[in-house]
Amino acid sequence: MIVTPKIFARLAAIAILAVLLQLSFFSRVEFLHTSADILPVVVVSLGLLGGSLTGAVAGFSLGFLVDCLLVAPLGGSSLVLLGAGYLAGLFRERFDIHSALVPPLICMALTLFAELGFAVMQVMLGIDAPVSILIVRDMALKSIYAFFLAWPIYFGLRRVLRPALVEEPKIMRRRQPTVLGRT
Amino acid sequence: MYRKQVRRRRAVLTLLIIGSFLLLTITYGQSSGGVQRGVSTIFSPLQSVADRALKPARDTIGWFDKTFDARGENSRLRAELVTVRRQAVAGQEALSENVQLRKLVALDRGPALAESVYEPVTGRVIARSPTVWTSTVTVDVGSGDGVKVDDPVISGDGLVGLVASTEGGSAQVTLITDHASAVSAKVVPPGVQGAIRPEVGDPEDLILDFIDSTKDVHRGQAVVTSGWRAEGLASLFPPGLPVGEVTSAPIVEQEASQQVHLRPYADIANLDLVQVLTGGSRG
Repeated sequence: MIVTPKIFARLAAIAILAVLLQLSFFSRVEFLHTSADILPVVVVSLGLLGGSLTGAVAGFSLGFLVDCLLVAPLGGSSLVLLGAGYLAGLFRERFDIHSALVPPLICMALTLFAELGFAVMQVMLGIDAPVSILIVRDMALKSIYAFFLAWPIYFGLRRVLRPALVEEPKIMRRRQPTVLGRT
Repeated sequence: MYRKQVRRRRAVLTLLIIGSFLLLTITYGQSSGGVQRGVSTIFSPLQSVADRALKPARDTIGWFDKTFDARGENSRLRAELVTVRRQAVAGQEALSENVQLRKLVALDRGPALAESVYEPVTGRVIARSPTVWTSTVTVDVGSGDGVKVDDPVISGDGLVGLVASTEGGSAQVTLITDHASAVSAKVVPPGVQGAIRPEVGDPEDLILDFIDSTKDVHRGQAVVTSGWRAEGLASLFPPGLPVGEVTSAPIVEQEASQQVHLRPYADIANLDLVQVLTGGSRG
């Protein structure tokens, strides 16, 4: 990803919008008693579009902003989200994304990774209460929601960041080669 | 060239990881740092605007979710209604008896009615934590409105939580479903005392722990804050605030673990308007 000042402004706007949407909307809307978490989806999408460095920096920044707004210990969310963003970027650098199904599947898998990361982080910091088995359902549903949310988020971000993308494959209609003597 | 890029990438990643651990080490256990306060102050108006703008969309999705739930709840509520009717009749009797007894012994407004010293400040929830590991909300009233750390927060249905930190125009509330929360409470009518603790991952289930195993607690009984006061110390919650209803009280669990399960009265998942009880005494 070629980060010009204009693209940097766009990335900052995306981060702020994602955090505001998460805290004011997605966290407060429950479906089947679970709310969606778009932050891993946004971070993973940025990693898939911009590479491991972009993914890691985006993850760190979004995590920092969320922790600031929730007055939580700083660094916890940053660490988990930077891991998710870095892994997404690494995937993009090692493999080609041939199918439109790949980004949502990666978002789903890395959202599960992030949820497990949050769990590990919380266990490391200490939990003063028993943990319900329903947490597993919550993690699974969050990953499934991530799969569906990844479609609009990934393709929306790709559109917004198109000028900065290095290897953006152009979607071209294949035309049949003209052969002499045929119409 | 490629090697240089890889080295640079690894260096940035290492720096970010070290930075995260450093931040975690420095800020863990502190209520609110200057950076957090500053960012929160800048963003709280934006959060307020986003909250209002997104309310119709939230309500629409909430309507669908509640419609799914309502089908199952209908039969349960019908059964509850019969029980509550019986309790209401018994309550009316108890009230009239109480009035007579008060007249007899000339009771004054004792510590049980100390909640009158609280001044409620109404606020709106503008943000909520994204994971179930931490259960906090941000409300749009803060220190500028007289809100202080450790002020109790209630909704129309019952106790919601406690103020954890404040900024000028917003405050963070730790909900009773957060793993760090503990509320001293009692079951009424028997008056069995205990401490309410959450079960992480299940906001519909709270545990009343450390109860007296010799006294029987039954399903459907109400749980209210006990609001104890002793030797210069006092509970952060005023007495008598409704918290929840006992949903499961197996005798085996009561005797073995000294605990029963309850469901909070407040709809913790869909909080909108809340009241912060300001001006109470602090121990």
